Amino acid sequence: MAHVVLKDLVKTYGGFKAVNNVSLTVNDGEFVALVGPSGCGKTTTLNLVAGLIPITSGDIVIGDRVVNDLDPKDRDIAMVFQNYALYPQKSVYKNLAFPLQMRKLPRDEIDKKVREAARVLDMTQLLERKPRELSGGQQQRVALGRALVRDPAVFLMDEPLSNLDAKLRVQMRSEIKRFHQDLKATIIYVTHDQLEAVTMADRMAVMNGGYLQQYDSPAQVFAHPVNMFVASFIGSPAMSLIPLEASTANGNTVLTSAEGWSLELSQRNARKVQKATTRKVVLGARHSTIKLHKSAVPGAIPAKAYTVEPTGDVTFVQAFLSGAIVNISVSPNIAVKPDEQIWLEFDQERMHLFDGETEMALEAS
Amino acid sequence: MSTIAETAPRGQTRRRMRVDGWRWAGRIFLVFMLLYTALPMIWMLITSIKSGFAAMQFPPQWWPDEPTLASYQKLLDPQNSVGQDFLRFFWNSLYVSTVTTILSVIVAVPAAYAFSRFTFPGRNFLFFAVLLRNMFPAVIFLVPLFILMRALGLVNTHGSLILTYLTFGLPLAIWLLKGFYDNIPVQLEQAARIDGATRFQAFILIVMPLSTPGIIATAIYSFIGAWNEYIYAYTFLSKNEQLTLPVGIQRFFSENTTDFPGLMAASFMMSVPVVVLFLVLQRYFVRALTEGAVKH
Repeated sequence: MAHVVLKDLVKTYGGFKAVNNVSLTVNDGEFVALVGPSGCGKTTTLNLVAGLIPITSGDIVIGDRVVNDLDPKDRDIAMVFQNYALYPQKSVYKNLAFPLQMRKLPRDEIDKKVREAARVLDMTQLLERKPRELSGGQQQRVALGRALVRDPAVFLMDEPLSNLDAKLRVQMRSEIKRFHQDLKATIIYVTHDQLEAVTMADRMAVMNGGYLQQYDSPAQVFAHPVNMFVASFIGSPAMSLIPLEASTANGNTVLTSAEGWSLELSQRNARKVQKATTRKVVLGARHSTIKLHKSAVPGAIPAKAYTVEPTGDVTFVQAFLSGAIVNISVSPNIAVKPDEQIWLEFDQERMHLFDGETEMALEAS
Repeated sequence: MSTIAETAPRGQTRRRMRVDGWRWAGRIFLVFMLLYTALPMIWMLITSIKSGFAAMQFPPQWWPDEPTLASYQKLLDPQNSVGQDFLRFFWNSLYVSTVTTILSVIVAVPAAYAFSRFTFPGRNFLFFAVLLRNMFPAVIFLVPLFILMRALGLVNTHGSLILTYLTFGLPLAIWLLKGFYDNIPVQLEQAARIDGATRFQAFILIVMPLSTPGIIATAIYSFIGAWNEYIYAYTFLSKNEQLTLPVGIQRFFSENTTDFPGLMAASFMMSVPVVVLFLVLQRYFVRALTEGAVKH
């Protein structure tokens, strides 16, 4: 296993910058998820690390080698593809053996390693089958097997679960996580599903528009998103982002809505708002930090329930404030009807404040 | 309730009858088409086993009174001049068609792969140029190509035919194969390259086996095209010993008295390699032509 360093990585297509000065370090044995919406540059970044496309500028270090100009075969990596990319004309056994054959290992050693990988992944009885005779989950497992049979320095995974049905995806998610724990493998995992990233990764690199937005542990990213993009991308349902106007009167800082209501900020939050470059401030709140009241409470803001979605153990209520959608989760035994008058109370300790111009998070320091 | 139960089956029968009507119309049409294509060939076969006199009789003998393989014996006998000519024409055709096929595959495979996988300046232009050729009838190029061949000193050589057949066969071969490569996920090659193969190895070990049906179809297509071609062979070659079968048969039998059983026997034997090739490899051919029609 090895660490991976990306330094000022740039990839341009014509005039379009697909990857923009991305720098990050993946420690030895670390599971890092590259996450972002489609077209954010995460797959391109992975392909750059794999060597499948040439880099425009910057450096890629795997282990202690700069691999910028090395062929994929010389980078000591293994990759799992979204469509698995199993060789259709080869049996499972030959699929697993192929990377070893290409490295000219003796036949008995190949056989030993293939059978060991098959045993670990519980597919010994499938070895003679062709990929098309396997279910999606089995194909996925063969793809994983072909990656691990070689004991590479780094595993690269490109949305390996997105072709599976929902139930299998959850199951394979824990299998891959277990696989990482057992092998102490260095894994770079690309996904557009923030839930996969949050549940599996040691650290996640959130990307958007070719830029690395934030690189931290899932807990940190969740608790302290650096900007509005990260705040809205991580967490489900998405964080509510309400555009407001800040003003100070009688020493108190107040956020006022165009709708007329206003919210008085705590001392700490007031200090954050003073750092903003404009008076435009965006209030961010996750569904679980907003308290729903069915009658007027001091400090709570009146709103109308728009939709009510019971999921079983929580009920999600949507409302509009200042033109923004606000998600609130409530206990299922609180009955809320659409169009019912409700009052929303924001948790001052757990709310997020963003500069309305730069979209960056405001910190108290 | 009862009305629904009563009307439902009646509606079903009516629908079934309508479907049957169409189905029968289809069958009759197919039988007609089959007769239309098969009868001339059957007649060719029957005539080839008649004697020269029986072939000229009217009303015709539907089945020869004295079936004979004399025509075949004559054509395949290297001792007499007819047999010598026929076997030489056959060999010439086989030679020209085989070399055309091999060269066609050797050129079309990398060309199609490049069109499918790489972006390079002029890629679209080149590809459409390749297709554009197919929009003109081959005869248009007869005179220019003849002048070109004369300038190259290739008139009266088999090389002129091979070159010509390649110019006509390659565009479609490339186009056919490109469709095939487009359908092979690029991730397979990427996986192979990560698994330790060079780009070339990935092509040879992974992509080539998967594109075998396409390559076979391309080969059949080139072979048949070269095997059956008449007008260029007629124009470029004038020496008797160089002629290919289509020209050879025509010239040979118009020079002698019209020996219909001999002509038919020669025509039959000319169709044999193509039919055999097609029958043996037809499943690949069909697969290649329908590949990409539906998303897998």
